[in-house]
Amino acid sequence: MHHAHIDKFAYQDSPIHRLDARAKLAVTLIATLLIVALPRFSPDLAFYTWLGPFVLLVLGRIPIQFVAKHILWALPFILVLALTSLWYDRTETTILFGPFQWHSTMGWLKCLTLTAKFVGSMLALTALICTTRFSDLLMVLQRWHVPEILVIQLGFLYRYIFVLIDKAHHTKQARTLRTLKRLPTKQELRIGAAMIGSVLVQSLDTSTHITQAMQARGFTGQWHSPRQFHIKPADWLFMAIATLYIGLLLHLGSMY
Amino acid sequence: MHMANELLSVPVAAGTFAAAGIGLGVVCNRVKQTISTDQLGLMGILGAFVFAAQMINLPLPGLPGTSGHLIGAVLLAILLGPHAGALVVSSIVMVQCLLFQDGGLLALGCNIINMALVPSYLGFALYRLILHQTHDTWRFNLAVMASALITVLAGAILVPMQTALSGVLTLPFSTFAWTMLSVHLVIGLMEGIITVAVLAYVRQIRPDILSHTSESSTAGRGKLLLVTLGMVTLFLSAFVSLYASDRPDGLEWSYAQRPDQPAFESMVQAHEQAKALDTLQSKYTLLPDYARRPVPMGHINTEDATVSAGWTSFAGVVGSLVTMAAVWGTALLIRKKTPNL
Amino acid sequence: MTAIDIKDFSFHYPDGTPALNRVSLSIEPGEKVLLIGPNGAGKSSLLLAMAGFAQGTGSVVVEGLKVTKKNLKAIRQVLGCCLENPDDQLFMPTLFEDIAFGPLNMGLSQAEIEQRVTQALTTVGLADKAHKPPHHLSAGQKRAAAIATVLSMAPRIITLDEPDGSLDPRRRIELQTLLKSLTQTLVIATCNMNFAYALADRVILVDHGQIVADGTAQTIMTDRALMETHGLELPAL
Repeated sequence: MHHAHIDKFAYQDSPIHRLDARAKLAVTLIATLLIVALPRFSPDLAFYTWLGPFVLLVLGRIPIQFVAKHILWALPFILVLALTSLWYDRTETTILFGPFQWHSTMGWLKCLTLTAKFVGSMLALTALICTTRFSDLLMVLQRWHVPEILVIQLGFLYRYIFVLIDKAHHTKQARTLRTLKRLPTKQELRIGAAMIGSVLVQSLDTSTHITQAMQARGFTGQWHSPRQFHIKPADWLFMAIATLYIGLLLHLGSMY
Repeated sequence: MHMANELLSVPVAAGTFAAAGIGLGVVCNRVKQTISTDQLGLMGILGAFVFAAQMINLPLPGLPGTSGHLIGAVLLAILLGPHAGALVVSSIVMVQCLLFQDGGLLALGCNIINMALVPSYLGFALYRLILHQTHDTWRFNLAVMASALITVLAGAILVPMQTALSGVLTLPFSTFAWTMLSVHLVIGLMEGIITVAVLAYVRQIRPDILSHTSESSTAGRGKLLLVTLGMVTLFLSAFVSLYASDRPDGLEWSYAQRPDQPAFESMVQAHEQAKALDTLQSKYTLLPDYARRPVPMGHINTEDATVSAGWTSFAGVVGSLVTMAAVWGTALLIRKKTPNL
Repeated sequence: MTAIDIKDFSFHYPDGTPALNRVSLSIEPGEKVLLIGPNGAGKSSLLLAMAGFAQGTGSVVVEGLKVTKKNLKAIRQVLGCCLENPDDQLFMPTLFEDIAFGPLNMGLSQAEIEQRVTQALTTVGLADKAHKPPHHLSAGQKRAAAIATVLSMAPRIITLDEPDGSLDPRRRIELQTLLKSLTQTLVIATCNMNFAYALADRVILVDHGQIVADGTAQTIMTDRALMETHGLELPAL
């Protein structure tokens, strides 16, 4: 099923996967900040931000088709907003691009930049998620003093999303199998609500069992964590290259 | 409705990120003080439940062919109380960002505020205010319906507000706001109907689940009223002020089409000044490469001065493309030779 | 010392339905006891009672400790309980963290925890899966992992609720081999008669919340009349 594959690449092995999760999360955060800070009328600069995450994705052996599909799927909302600039910013301008030169509007530049930035930050985030285990990210959050209860909550959430999505999927299938025609909306609504309700009741039962499983293994409210970190030379190298790359883009941006 | 990084300016992103962080910290503290061991698993499961419930699409009444799904903030606030509810919905928003890439990393602050903190507290306050210690089914449904609808609208209106503060989009605030409000009116009604129907089912099958929520926290009606009034006032004042302030924006492009107007230049400059609030951005906004504002329309500076810059971008873009193709090609080749690498 | 001693234990579900009715039974250390019976007979309730999750009347004593709120912490170091659904048993983001959960709560040192986790994973044959999340495991692997979460606490008694559920024949035989190799006292509930017959030192037939028969697998599970009265089949010998 689709959902089981969202993080399947995170469990591969590659030099990128082996990098320290702290380094990767920090670099992704800073890179996203850079992307947000880049000029609003420079599609070329926004485009340069694709390069870094792209290389990471390739080195991490993540299929580019998978990433592209993922990004295209998320694109519509931002695209609609970006396209409004065409209407609201019709300031004319001339664009020089190497041997080419054409007349356009600032709206076009803005629209292109916005879309390119969006793809850039999506690539960066995808590169992080596809090469880092979620449990390692949780470890980082804990290290960075995110409240423990939130980290625990995220851990449970990650663990049970897939279990419950499967349950909902089965409920949905059972419903589809018995559907001959579309019923009046009111009835469809009632059935849908009953399906959601039954998933909810099942979820509550599951939570009772989890509590039992935790208590059976000596849980009394005090949370312990086995998590540890070691930073390696490769991590320093990664951070150095990332700093150079981000610094270069920042420099280019400030030249304008 | 998920906010994207690119719609925000650096100060707005940083500000909302910090605000959400502090808010979430306070929420975590509150939950930690009151939580029992059996609620830890319950919170995790209910968060995952929302993801599962979103798999089940329901038809929109009156709009054949369309469907909607549960958002869940009000449902969780009713089942868990506002603090634990806010924590669970925040964790959902974080997982949506990290695992499913809904909403950007820097926009996480905005999304936590819009989709978790505001809906949970506002929704719970409205629910308690309207319900007011009665057990009447009709009143219960009304309370759930109203709080679901209003929280969805409140969350939706925050998106154009934060975008307007950032000034990235040229789209006038009022247009964006009314579009968001009308779309989310439908989504909010749907959310209300689904929440009412799901809770009705739960009441029928497992009344024990809901019984504890109505007896607890009957006190503090004044506090609830204060929360609701405070939030509503904040929304209204922000809405009105932004609505008023975007008038010049609307004027701007109509002037821009007629550069012969003498007021044009000052108008554009005023606009630039507004943007200069954001220092990092304003440093970057001017781009000689594209021979742009505040140059009057119709003629470009001197082409000679910008030609070299045009070549820089060209070389940069082509260079990046070649590099990406080369990296990808090499990787594919190596992998073909040693498939087990 | 007797491993488990239950006297006159009765227990009702919250809605009032009786689950166990004056059950008495005693299990010696090292015994492999199989609880068989139809669905809803009370097998799971009996296992929950041993782990201290069912509040009823009568007494349950585990290694000389009476099951009371005060003794629960000590009892749970002695008795490990593995729930029916591995998805309920495995609640942490990765296997390693899940299997370390019990030892961490016991307050063991970092080195000992790592050693115990590795040992438990090796015993169940999942040593290479330590850092996988449970949703990347197969049904059989989840079963094995659920057992490892209990093994890492090194209990002297382990209770398992339908550990053979939804396993294909090969996985079930692997599980049988694994369980046979354990030296702990095992109390296992199952609906699979072949599985029960292959493992049992002693079989207890439960129905309607009561113990109907108690003896060796040979005497109980070959008694066609007894088995069929309680809706069970004979194992394929």
